[in-house]
Amino acid sequence: MPECDNPLWPCAMTGAAAGLAGFEGMTVVIHGSSGCYYYPTTLLHAPLHGTFILENEVIFGSEDRLREVIGELTGTGNRIAVITTCVPAILGEDIQSQLAEHDVLLVDSPGFSGDVEAGYTKAISLLAPQTDAATDGVNIDGVCLIDPFFKGNLQEIRRLLGLASVPVATVFCRDALKKTRTASIYTIGTNGDFRSSVGEYLGGTLGFGTLRATFERLGTAFEESDIDPVLRELSQQEEETVRICDKFLRRFDPPTVVIFAGASYAEFAAQALDHYLDADIRFLGTRNPGGTSRYPAALVTGLTQVKTIIGQHNPDLVLGSSFERSVSGNRAFYGITPPLRGVVRLAPVPLAGVNGTLFFMEQVLNACMDKSRKVP
Amino acid sequence: MHTSRSGGCTLTGALSVTTQVLNAASIIHGPRGCAHHNFSLFHATMPDNERATLPDIVSSALGESDIVFGGEDALARSIQSVCERDVMAVFVLSTCIVATIGDDVEAVCGRNWPVPVIPVPTDGFLGGSFQDGVNNALIALADLQEPSKAGPCVNIIGEKNLEYEVEENYAEVVRLLALLGLPVGIRFVHNLSLDDVPALGAAQLNILRNPLLVPVGDHLRQRFGTPYIPSFPTGLSDTLAFINSIADACRIDGRRALGIEQALQAEVLADFADIGDTKGVFCGPVMDPESSKAAREAADALHIRVSGNPEAYPLPVHPVVGTTGIRRMLHRWRRAIHA
Repeated sequence: MPECDNPLWPCAMTGAAAGLAGFEGMTVVIHGSSGCYYYPTTLLHAPLHGTFILENEVIFGSEDRLREVIGELTGTGNRIAVITTCVPAILGEDIQSQLAEHDVLLVDSPGFSGDVEAGYTKAISLLAPQTDAATDGVNIDGVCLIDPFFKGNLQEIRRLLGLASVPVATVFCRDALKKTRTASIYTIGTNGDFRSSVGEYLGGTLGFGTLRATFERLGTAFEESDIDPVLRELSQQEEETVRICDKFLRRFDPPTVVIFAGASYAEFAAQALDHYLDADIRFLGTRNPGGTSRYPAALVTGLTQVKTIIGQHNPDLVLGSSFERSVSGNRAFYGITPPLRGVVRLAPVPLAGVNGTLFFMEQVLNACMDKSRKVP
Repeated sequence: MHTSRSGGCTLTGALSVTTQVLNAASIIHGPRGCAHHNFSLFHATMPDNERATLPDIVSSALGESDIVFGGEDALARSIQSVCERDVMAVFVLSTCIVATIGDDVEAVCGRNWPVPVIPVPTDGFLGGSFQDGVNNALIALADLQEPSKAGPCVNIIGEKNLEYEVEENYAEVVRLLALLGLPVGIRFVHNLSLDDVPALGAAQLNILRNPLLVPVGDHLRQRFGTPYIPSFPTGLSDTLAFINSIADACRIDGRRALGIEQALQAEVLADFADIGDTKGVFCGPVMDPESSKAAREAADALHIRVSGNPEAYPLPVHPVVGTTGIRRMLHRWRRAIHA
């Protein structure tokens, strides 16, 4: 693996914590040093525990320390997950046997094993969710604590499912842990970079076109549902989006754009800007290896690559994280990728669903217009 | 070495020093995630510290096969790549996983590179705590310098670069030194060019940010013969003692400076007489003994009765430097009392 300048994406350990800490009834323990513990704690804003091991526990074994920490956490009724960091992962200790008296979920997800998605996926696979044909409703997928839009996405998709009279089954990963044992046989997605692979996937919810297709499939899968209110709202709001974008295009040229995000959000943003604004999508710099795209796209892992790409393509608009914002100069910018430092975010804002596209387009148009007004 | 379960990572401490060296790069030899965690933290603190440029942190990006077969080749590739850039030096910081698999980082750094490649003993948590990282980075950089003839300057050693009030605390020490007619030499290490580092050995006195840096102070005294003051001043009487200590160390008459500072402190206390004769309870996320002592002294001077009674006014306590720091804390107390 070549060296990487100012790496932009968290490690697998953080991904495992992001998945498991979203479940009520799960106590997550980071088995490693305080330095490894602090990062996911500050990023995820979720209650995490740590073993905070020291050098002597690396030399003489960490069993006693692990038992001490796990012992303090038992008795709450919660299931305990232990996520190993780099050093404990290679010590060769049989942690599962050491903790045999506790029902511990051991997630071997050290930082060197990959990026955040790898840890997230592994944690869910070890959790081994089960579907139950008797469970009514549909699972909502891709709700990950690391995603700045996870709360808004969940709220929006719940709203739309409510409008369509389709019950919500299990939310991966923001639900009661016990509901992972009785998930629905159907699933719809929000952020496709964080897939649970539970049940039959009926489609995503990013963008009006995808949303329409997914709700049509829901209408077929759930005989009691009524998807017409959702389709009506979708058509009305899409019409309004077209009107507003058209108005923008009467005064301004379509923006040239580079996008830095997870593959799922990057593709959504590119398609929306291309479709409604005739934007020139010059490059998608994805944080993770995504599927094929009709836009120029490549994996971008470090900040130097970001600077080079922005320099090469000289876009009007940059979408990304606050890392990208810091090297975007005076270009129009909108944040869709974590971390988003230096901005206050209180309200749950979506990218998924009807309101997700509306909010996204509104923010982009405002950023572009603000930028245009500042140009002498 | 400090052994504390909550002491943080040596990498973060060392990076808080090495990323302040302007024309140098820092390589973290380990998985990409370690560099990301720290880069993200530094990125987050930048707006608070009014720093416009991002730190240059490079990861050797070890993967599973490097962990199995060794990561020295990956480190060498990273150093080679970084040396080809416009840098005057490269710092190499090792992670805990690299220490565990036994990579010989010093040997790789000791090869014939076109610019100085400086190994900083870190080893993640296996090398100690955040503070050990700070101390080891300062010592590693100091060891590149040669002794020189002492001049009139005073150097500032080991500022807390991630601290919210780092510039204000520095300004307070500069103010106190100015009362004594003493110029500041270099800030070792804060926003420092490598070209200026040789001035490290040319000070008549070093002032450490806090006593946790005493091993660094001792090292500098041994290497350059420079005496040191172990800490920035934390309270009213401590500020006066600080002036006295510096005057003694520099063999100058400090009576005038002392008189000016005493007058200033009297003025500050008079300004806050309106919050005197009340009851308060100290609160705050950082309640180290020095801060508590400084707060207690200020409360006593204003006749504020401090108790554990939760009904009393909550008086926020934070680490303060000098008389100016106390004045800022008293503004927060006034806001709390009048809330």
